[in-house]
Amino acid sequence: MKPFQYLRPKTVQEAVTMATDNPEAQYIAGGTNLVDLMKRGIASPSKLIDINHLPLKKIEHRYDRLRIGALVLNSDLAQHKAVLTRQPLLAQALLAGASGQLRNMATVGGNLLQRTRCSYFYDLALPCNKRKPGAGCGAEEGINRTHAIFFAGNGFGGIEKSSCIAVHPSDMCVALTALETTVVINGPDGERRVMMKDFHRLSTQQPELDTNLGPGELVTAIEVVDNAFAKHSHYLKVRDRASYAFALVSVAAALQMDGGRIWDARMALGGVAHKPWRYWSIDLMLRGQVPSEKLFREVAEHEMEGAKATAQNAFKIKLASNAMVAALKTAAGIS
Amino acid sequence: MNRKSLDNPSDNSLSRVDGAVKVTGTATYSAEYVVPELAHAVLVTSTIAKGSITAIESQEAEAAPGVLAVISHLNAIEVPGWPARKQPAERAPVGTAFRVFYDPLIYFDGQPVAMVVAGTREQAVHAASLVRVTYRKEIHQTHFEKNTSKAGIPLNVQRAKNSPFQDYARGDAAALTNAEVRIEAEYTIPTQHHQPLEPHAIIAVWEADDKLTVYDKNQGVKSAQGQLAQAFKLPREKVQVVATYIGGAFGSGIRVWPHTMAAVMAAKQVKRPVKLVLGREQMFTSVGYRPYTVQKLTLGASKTGQLAGIMHEGTGQTSAYEEHLERTVLASRALYASAYAATRYRLLPLDVNTPTWMRGPGDATGMFALESAMDELAFALKMDPLEFRLKNYAESDPERNLPWSAKSLRECYELGAEKFGWKNRMQEPRSVKRGGMLLGSGMASSLYGFHRHPSKARALMQADGSVIVQSATMDIGPGTGTAMTRIAAKVLGVNAKKIRFELGHSALPDAPGQNGSSTIPSVGSAVHVVCEALKSKLVTLAGEMSERFRSGGQPVVRNGQVFSSGEDKEGINYSDILKYHQLKELEVTEESKSGAERDQYSMYSFGCHFVEVEVDPLTGEVRVTRVVTCADVGTIINYKTARSQSIGGVVGGIGMALMEHSAMDHRFGRYVTNDFASYHIPVHADVPPIEVYYIDKPDVHVNPIGSKGLGEIAIVGVAGAIANAVFHATGKRVRELPITPDKLI
Amino acid sequence: MEPDRDAIPPDAENEDRRFFLKQSMFIAGLSMAPADFLQAALAPDDGPVGNAVKVKLSLTVNGKRKRITIDPRMTLLDLLRENLGLTGTKKGCDFGQCGACTVHVDGRRTLSCLTFAVMQHGAKITTIEGLSDGEKLHPLQEAFIKHDGFQCGYCTPGQIMSGVACIREGCAGSAGEVREYMSGNLCRCGAYPNIVDAILEVKKEGLKV
Repeated sequence: MKPFQYLRPKTVQEAVTMATDNPEAQYIAGGTNLVDLMKRGIASPSKLIDINHLPLKKIEHRYDRLRIGALVLNSDLAQHKAVLTRQPLLAQALLAGASGQLRNMATVGGNLLQRTRCSYFYDLALPCNKRKPGAGCGAEEGINRTHAIFFAGNGFGGIEKSSCIAVHPSDMCVALTALETTVVINGPDGERRVMMKDFHRLSTQQPELDTNLGPGELVTAIEVVDNAFAKHSHYLKVRDRASYAFALVSVAAALQMDGGRIWDARMALGGVAHKPWRYWSIDLMLRGQVPSEKLFREVAEHEMEGAKATAQNAFKIKLASNAMVAALKTAAGIS
Repeated sequence: MNRKSLDNPSDNSLSRVDGAVKVTGTATYSAEYVVPELAHAVLVTSTIAKGSITAIESQEAEAAPGVLAVISHLNAIEVPGWPARKQPAERAPVGTAFRVFYDPLIYFDGQPVAMVVAGTREQAVHAASLVRVTYRKEIHQTHFEKNTSKAGIPLNVQRAKNSPFQDYARGDAAALTNAEVRIEAEYTIPTQHHQPLEPHAIIAVWEADDKLTVYDKNQGVKSAQGQLAQAFKLPREKVQVVATYIGGAFGSGIRVWPHTMAAVMAAKQVKRPVKLVLGREQMFTSVGYRPYTVQKLTLGASKTGQLAGIMHEGTGQTSAYEEHLERTVLASRALYASAYAATRYRLLPLDVNTPTWMRGPGDATGMFALESAMDELAFALKMDPLEFRLKNYAESDPERNLPWSAKSLRECYELGAEKFGWKNRMQEPRSVKRGGMLLGSGMASSLYGFHRHPSKARALMQADGSVIVQSATMDIGPGTGTAMTRIAAKVLGVNAKKIRFELGHSALPDAPGQNGSSTIPSVGSAVHVVCEALKSKLVTLAGEMSERFRSGGQPVVRNGQVFSSGEDKEGINYSDILKYHQLKELEVTEESKSGAERDQYSMYSFGCHFVEVEVDPLTGEVRVTRVVTCADVGTIINYKTARSQSIGGVVGGIGMALMEHSAMDHRFGRYVTNDFASYHIPVHADVPPIEVYYIDKPDVHVNPIGSKGLGEIAIVGVAGAIANAVFHATGKRVRELPITPDKLI
Repeated sequence: MEPDRDAIPPDAENEDRRFFLKQSMFIAGLSMAPADFLQAALAPDDGPVGNAVKVKLSLTVNGKRKRITIDPRMTLLDLLRENLGLTGTKKGCDFGQCGACTVHVDGRRTLSCLTFAVMQHGAKITTIEGLSDGEKLHPLQEAFIKHDGFQCGYCTPGQIMSGVACIREGCAGSAGEVREYMSGNLCRCGAYPNIVDAILEVKKEGLKV
């Protein structure tokens, strides 16, 4: 690990100034991913800006939305009353991720900025476009069982050369995507707001970039607008062991139901793309319908139309489809 | 039923004698010894699988703060026990253990090519990232399936006519060919790694030019001492190896590995004690693994379920420089009464590091295949899998034509089946559901050969009547000290608190390393024998103290006293015996080893496992929901720790069956699963309640304590039982481990 | 609590001054004006002080205040093991994937391998060595011995620290819950069922943890 200067700002403004003035600086909060990356020599900031002492730790419900400070810990968020009552899908997703210890360290902002867990990205001896643009994607013709099946929008393109087929590892972000969360960002030019769908990037260009965050920018909060999904939402995570593993596929499903019919629906998938994968047409397909396995199967198969497998992950197409059916069934309360 | 066979017996098991130090964090593991002037080392490893080093640029690393040395083949000290280096370098003949920093040749990816030694760990880690190594690559072969044509009879076997790994056949092959019902199937287990929670670590200290002490994680201090003494041409006693506490090993510590040599060489070179702790990623290429193995089983039976023949062929991966042999196909000769049985074993050398023994070596691999095949044949016969096994029960060893020293496998089957509720099982696959999940149950047998090696133990009775018992045996986790304390306390008739058992130091009396489930059979016997000898001495000395001993009664010991006979009410305290004879302590050393019984009996441990699984029909996720395991290993020395060992074996088997898979990208010959996030081992949530039962009858022929080993048999067969349960749940037969969701949806 | 003066080497005060000087010069050379940080440099209790080579910080470990000077790259785990001699906290993977390094930071279970020690300036750390009350073992330590919740013992301190937190967090209501909330602590010997039994027993007995 390269030596670094440790800095501990007290205000957001101070932190942003430190980062803007030093291109080699990086923010650190929980450290659960960055320390790992620094140990492996993948991240080597010369200055480490410890933002843990910034006043970004509040969870508040104001007007029509839940505003969650970027430094709120994953464990605190998962057990917060307002989250459990208003956005249980988010709590479920958080608890499906990592371990008790990691959730005690990881922050909301850090979770948004988690980097992929692709083995090629983590091994300096193997090629990786994300780590070293132009070096080639090791996974494309390598070990790609856990890699992406969606690349550039539903059915609009396959894998492009010099790109990246890694998947986004977060569970929380899948739920936040389904819930149409807004990310609040502070930077050299002041505050701006970005929708979840626009926060993370696809990898067709500049695979080294996971998000659309600019230099020096700092995530300060997220906002989840109130909705009517609390009674009918489910986060399903499929993995290679029963806990403490990244998703092969995960599904965040949220339904608004009344009188035995679905009136609104949202769904996002994890483990299938470079960013949490939002299913846009689900609302149109489900609105006004009576829930049934057959209906959900149709929805799932429609969604998978744009999927494209690599050599080892064809199973994910069926798995994702099945997982969507299972998650929607649980959300709808049908067996 | 025997009291100890109950799951929660109120027996008088000992809690671990080292429990307090382990739960308070005060047990000292290899990397934790406080040594003045300690320097920290970090390995730089090869990023190609075959070729040679053309240059090592170390100037930047050498100039980095705190760096003491950058060691490689260019500047490493000569190891006196190794042959002089050849110029130009030549690949060593097969059978030569890899020599670290010896020459520029690369044999496998992850091979140590340099080592940075610095004042602190942070400095060493950073400097290691600054070392630039360039290579001349040669085409490597690491892909098993693409190289199967290169598999052959191991050279070791070709040279040794009596090798158990020779091709084997008994009976008439036509019996199999013409069998009424036949199945033929191929089974694959991928490379799997031990990955004990404690990474391998060493602190090497040259106390003088000719005096070496190493605190090294290994499973045999005596063999490590011998190997280091040989390498550095020192008398054995000038080398001391300490490994009191070992954070798990499962076979990864049986050999002295290159990193150990590297640290010892470095300590000599920088003239300071050196600590080297392997990174978790280095644990995948430094300390062996369970080899990738492909097996073909052909089984035939009559319609009534009488086995007609077994043909078991197995090919295992090895390195290009060493042959690693294991018992993969051997169980098929002995487990079932089949008139025809044949085995073939081949090795496939690849450009990888050498595999090594991993818990249940060979047998865990082979029995996955055999017990899966038995299940497949039972299904083809429409027979209950347990009934099929009972029908082909071997009453004597069909391989050696010898009686078993003891075999209670039938009782294991009966007890396990009863506890599991096997008789209620629906035979039809995919016929039972529970809460939307597919429910299945499966079973498998288990066996493991008996191993006993000559062992010594010393008993030292102290003036206060307490006893120190010593042997250079090991404890990688099973609770060796606890079991030995139990044996000693019983023989000497004293409270276990009066016994202190010392192990894990090469200065102690000779004992084998901890492997092959041999510790209790070997060292347990030595402890028994030495305590018997001490008891005799005490009885003799006591006899000189009192008239009562001349009445011709049979003296007995209990409660730390010698009595002239069982009826005698008044005993003489051990401490009083020493005091009377003006002895500060009383010392006895004894050796215990096998005799002619080895040729008269066939000796094995036996057991079986019953497993219930739930499979999610939509996601293909398998969860083991219940396990009953039953073993016949002779006398159980200490139920509490034995039970834990059995549970541990089942957990290892769950990992083997459902998740463990070291995946290599063969374009680079490099593992892409190189940490605990990508190489999955079971977590808490994967492990259900596990019921453990023992037959607990002494095997009177094997040794004086009637006890056989437990470590291996606990895992052997588990993967097969799980695969069989998955078949029962889903109707899908998975023949390639691990059984992950992709194989079931 | 009073600072543990014994923990400071004799020349520490001088070393302090040299550090402050270096620090001030270093900051003066930056284009930014981190006023608060400069103040921090002048008031050591307000933040760690140092440069990219060495940094001085203070934290409380098992009830004792420690003032130490370390390489900023040092993790909390390495600080405990290498500098403070508290080797009860184990290094299993160093990447936050095994739980062997679990300690309590300000009462929360935390992976000490994934946090730099300097980030813990001002924090209260409890390790396995600080869990028992003198010679008297913590109830969960007792329960681990009773239920044989370990074999090799290497994951044990992490399991116990995590188990205590699990009970305190209210996540030990059932075997299933314990299994889920303890899944960040790997055990290769496979002592899991015994660990779960130990945690459930302590929880059930309602002992103070």
